[in-house]
Amino acid sequence: MPGDFRARRGDVIFDDLRAIQLRHGFLPKAELEGLSQRTQTPLYQIHSVASFYPHFHLVPPPKAQIRVCADMSCHLNGACELRADLERRFAGSRAGEVQIRNVSCLGRCDHAPAVSINDQIFTDVTAARAEQIARSAVRGDDIREPHPEQVRVTCKADPYGEAEKYGVVRKLVQSRAWDDVLARLKAAELRGMGGAGFPTSMKWDLVRKQPDRVKYVVCNADESEPGTIKDRFIMTHLPHLVIEGMIIAGLVTGAKRGIVYIRHEYHLQEEILGEEIRRCYRAGLLGKTILGSDLGYDLEMFVSPGGYICGEESALIEAIEGHRAEPRNKPPFPGQVGLWQKPTVINNVETFINVPQILARGVDSFIAQGSNGSRGLKFVGVSGHVARPGIFEVPMGTPLREVIFNHAGGIRGGRQVKAFAPSGPSSGYLPASMVDVRLDFKALADAGSMLGSGAIVVCDDTTCMLDMALNAVRFYRNESCGKCVPCRVGSQKMADLLARWTQGGVPEPQYRADLALLDDLAQAMSQTSICGLGQIAPAPIQSVLKHFRAEIDAHVLRGQCPSGICFTAASRAGEAQRVGIRP
Amino acid sequence: MTTATTPPGMIDVTIDGRAVRVPAGTSVFDAARMNGIAIPTLCHLQNQTPVGVCRLCVVDTGARVLSASCVRPVEPGMKVSTDSEKVLNARKTLLELLMSDHPSPCARQEQSGDCELETLAKAAGILESGFQKRTVARGHDDSSLAIAVDHDACILCDRCIRGCDEVKNNFVLGRMGKGYSAGIAFDLNSSMGDSTCISCGECMVSCPTGALTNKGVVGTAIAVGPGAEGFEAEDLLKIPVFKGVSGTFLELNRGAVVKRRFRQGEIVCREGEFGSTAFYILEGKAKVSISTPIAHVRTQGGAKGLFKRLTSTLVAREDDKREEETRDRTIPIDAPVDLAYGNPVAELGPGDLFGEMTCMNFYPRSATVIAESDVIAYEMLRNVLDIMLKNKTFRAQLDETYRRRALENHLRGVPMFADLSPEFIDYLKGSVELQRFAPGQVIVQQGEAADSFYLVRIGFVKVSENYPGGELVLAYLSRGDYFGEIGLLGGGVRTATCTALDHVELVRISGNDFREMVGRFPGVRTGLEAIAAERRAANQQRMQMVDSVPIGQFLSQGLMEAQSLLILDLQNCTRCDACVNACADAHDGITRLVRDGLRFDRYLVATSCRQCRDPLCMVGCPVGAIRRRNSLEVIIEDWCIGCGLCARNCPYGNINLHPFEVMAEDPEHAGRKKAVIQQKATSCDLCTHLKEPSCVYACPHDAAHRVDPKTFFAEMLGQGSVK
Repeated sequence: MPGDFRARRGDVIFDDLRAIQLRHGFLPKAELEGLSQRTQTPLYQIHSVASFYPHFHLVPPPKAQIRVCADMSCHLNGACELRADLERRFAGSRAGEVQIRNVSCLGRCDHAPAVSINDQIFTDVTAARAEQIARSAVRGDDIREPHPEQVRVTCKADPYGEAEKYGVVRKLVQSRAWDDVLARLKAAELRGMGGAGFPTSMKWDLVRKQPDRVKYVVCNADESEPGTIKDRFIMTHLPHLVIEGMIIAGLVTGAKRGIVYIRHEYHLQEEILGEEIRRCYRAGLLGKTILGSDLGYDLEMFVSPGGYICGEESALIEAIEGHRAEPRNKPPFPGQVGLWQKPTVINNVETFINVPQILARGVDSFIAQGSNGSRGLKFVGVSGHVARPGIFEVPMGTPLREVIFNHAGGIRGGRQVKAFAPSGPSSGYLPASMVDVRLDFKALADAGSMLGSGAIVVCDDTTCMLDMALNAVRFYRNESCGKCVPCRVGSQKMADLLARWTQGGVPEPQYRADLALLDDLAQAMSQTSICGLGQIAPAPIQSVLKHFRAEIDAHVLRGQCPSGICFTAASRAGEAQRVGIRP
Repeated sequence: MTTATTPPGMIDVTIDGRAVRVPAGTSVFDAARMNGIAIPTLCHLQNQTPVGVCRLCVVDTGARVLSASCVRPVEPGMKVSTDSEKVLNARKTLLELLMSDHPSPCARQEQSGDCELETLAKAAGILESGFQKRTVARGHDDSSLAIAVDHDACILCDRCIRGCDEVKNNFVLGRMGKGYSAGIAFDLNSSMGDSTCISCGECMVSCPTGALTNKGVVGTAIAVGPGAEGFEAEDLLKIPVFKGVSGTFLELNRGAVVKRRFRQGEIVCREGEFGSTAFYILEGKAKVSISTPIAHVRTQGGAKGLFKRLTSTLVAREDDKREEETRDRTIPIDAPVDLAYGNPVAELGPGDLFGEMTCMNFYPRSATVIAESDVIAYEMLRNVLDIMLKNKTFRAQLDETYRRRALENHLRGVPMFADLSPEFIDYLKGSVELQRFAPGQVIVQQGEAADSFYLVRIGFVKVSENYPGGELVLAYLSRGDYFGEIGLLGGGVRTATCTALDHVELVRISGNDFREMVGRFPGVRTGLEAIAAERRAANQQRMQMVDSVPIGQFLSQGLMEAQSLLILDLQNCTRCDACVNACADAHDGITRLVRDGLRFDRYLVATSCRQCRDPLCMVGCPVGAIRRRNSLEVIIEDWCIGCGLCARNCPYGNINLHPFEVMAEDPEHAGRKKAVIQQKATSCDLCTHLKEPSCVYACPHDAAHRVDPKTFFAEMLGQGSVK
């Protein structure tokens, strides 16, 4: 149809926009008009995309753009105070020089607080250091730092050790026992490790059965949920298993092309995986003829233009297609109608590495790696108020007490656990009394939480749980794509309501009405939102209402914060900074 | 349940307990509707692809979460509940969320009572939302002539986007931003009026709320009567220029366009009349002319004392040559032709559009149009004209007519361009660009690189300079005026900002063409350089003056604007009114002076022309007949049509209309003349025909003075001396 732009492949748009931004530091109107002419893309479409992703600047950025991570682990580690301190340090600076904003989780929860300055990430940051870096940026100095030296950590999940890698692919190309692969994954009961826990064999089988000639495999390496850092670790230390898992998925389902969708804050992992992909091409493991066979498979990287919502599988597909990352209505699921309308396997990084592990070691040994009746291993990120935050490889079924106290060294400063989130804000908060819950799909679901992505965030006894619930809902509000009403409007109204509670002085009848309203809102959001983001957004406050109700009552009715976090001058100042929706 | 009896291609489902059979692929929403079960929705329209974003149409299919029925295909054996308590509660909460941010009653609710959100909310019993309201307003956009945009009423249902995109294939509208700050945007977030929107109206017709509403032209439907037939929307859609416009939109604007038949000799419009319509001639020929005598008011000196005679007469410039009247110029009118000074008559024919300025900017008619043969024309209001002007083909046709008929006159109207060779004029006719600007739109920005020269074709352009604490108006430019030469001849940077005051159309000569022109025709360069130097000097002087005047009462009274004031020293003035009488005596009994006005210190600043520095009187003259001499005296050109707009625009009431009885052609009886009253604008002429202004001369108490305020008030303003 003449004039119909829709048929156009939109993915070139990000490359074009990035090129323009590289030249000018932002996206000048005249350039966008030129791009529109050149590519026959309507102006509105360029703007709708450019204004959606935080990566793109529509106006010239300041010389130093400081973005303080505001989410969970950084929040627990003084991000608010850090930002306030930075505001004071740069109070007199000129407009256009320094701008201080909050940013959503940068994926450095084990080294909180994290700060991004001109898109370079700095961890374990003090105000003094951030100031120093920002001042260099204002002077125009290069603030980039070399990647720290990486020592490959040996993981139990690696079936190869020092032996030749990609053994499973080598065998499969010979045996072509595709059905056997599916059967083994089914026997191992491998489930998605990104959060939803969908059985992998069912997903692959669905794609395999689609009659389409063109299919795709996508690796979701966009982990962006506060606390979630395990994929960063896996990609750093087990890149070959990620690639092998994706090749196997392609071989089994008949997809000839795979894409690793990685968040743009993971530069190092982008390099490591890129290098691994090149190595595979050189070794004949990727390309038109895998190991000389008639089987072909190409693999490439796609760097996300940013946003938590891109981790939602259909939003991720939209992003690859060059659109706003707005989740699709389902059904149909990506397994039937996915990337470029073709059947698509989308799995998490950790799911992919489990595949060669199961196939190399056998189902039984995989299962045996778990404990207390659970199967396999799990990578978990532990952050917050623990002594040794980090990423740990533990058997499934390990009690969280063991993870928190043995692996992560317990609570910093000898304090007590007050609460913990088994998997970021989405899992809600469980009280210290439940710390013996096991790391297992069912056990955590029974506890009213979820295994999710294994992003364990621990709060000590100085934490205000209402503050944490507000922090979580603000994260969802900031990251809502805005497509559907319940999430777009609901997340803002929920944040408004909780912010009002933290101010105290609400009369009891009003509080009762608020509670009923919150309940209705939570129902509407979880029942009618298009995707998981809106559906799960009420979880943190619901869990806090369930386990820490007295603390909320104290705030709302008596204007007291038992932890002394709210109602302080610092908290009010922080509140003032948060007016508006991009904090 | 799909059973053995289900025909192929059909699916059996149960909706609210009723067994329903529908074709495979049907959405639950449609399946319900086909069976008489209405599911509420805000984002779904039958002629658009469903997107499932408002979520109001959710139903319970027994799955983990509710499903949006507009995007959920039926499946065999599906059991759907459209009105369970769970569903109704969720819907109610969604409506409550939307209502908490909705500016109720919104424009649509006020206009036609059919805001879909407010209707649904009312039906659900939502009177007040328990949620907090939006704290930061998203704003209005009034830049489009046809459609008003209220972003606060937008619920992001995407109906406008799909209307623009998939229904009309115009590709102008989209979502912008993310999350709660998301909104709709035109192009790269331009205002609607500045965007590539063609005003087809589909977005407005698709909008469920007051976010996009029809502006209409309030209370000005064109009268339909004998000789004027209204249109039904479907008739209009058959006219090529309306192809692609939404039928419903035209329906809403019914009465904004009529087809008129004029008999031979019938008057289509009269100069000086206020109006709001433009005409587009389909058939026949019309004569456009100015019937007011081409002459100005002259006050004769000498006759004083008891035997006063009427001393003001109408004289043409041959008999009373005034400063700077060395060349014949054309009279700019609101039509694709200009009139010659000596013979202000021209012909209009099929394809000609006239009355554009009257229609767009509500200026008085600039000339009289009489049907020479039987004429058939569309007469339209602003919103319809806007739709037509946004049609690329029509626009090209108009531009072509303009290039052919009037552009040469306009180019030659610039005095310095007289030397251009005919070949170069021909070249320019093809190479210039015709541009349009909406009110308030910046044409050139001070400090930007200068890359073109502009000639004003329609409307008024404000020239201003940045000044600490605001902007300073340097000049108003109207049809035939030009700007941009200072930047091109000088440092290559714009020295002032030029803004469209109203609907403005410009002729743009590119920097390259301009440089070639001044290179090849040295006369043009000399002339333009002289003018540029003059403008620069005047601007500089003005800036200095502003620097030296303390801000305060003096400024707030507008006295700073004045270059010459009649002041009455109240300590000496006995209120005898001799000055007023003397003024009347000197001007045929019509005083141009009123002994009333603003007070500053012990002086009364009498109401008489202040020769303002920001001459608001000059904005809007439909024939460009008001200008200033270098002495800054306001001068009314011979072709003033007496419409009175300048008199209304003068903030100080200092322009009057002077009636004259003249013989004019009788429109009722061709060839015969009859006496009619015609008006001419006049302002204080400083009694230039006398040695001293008569008011000052007449004052028996030495209380009246004509002064330059800066010099006179210098001491009071705390300055030593001011030039």
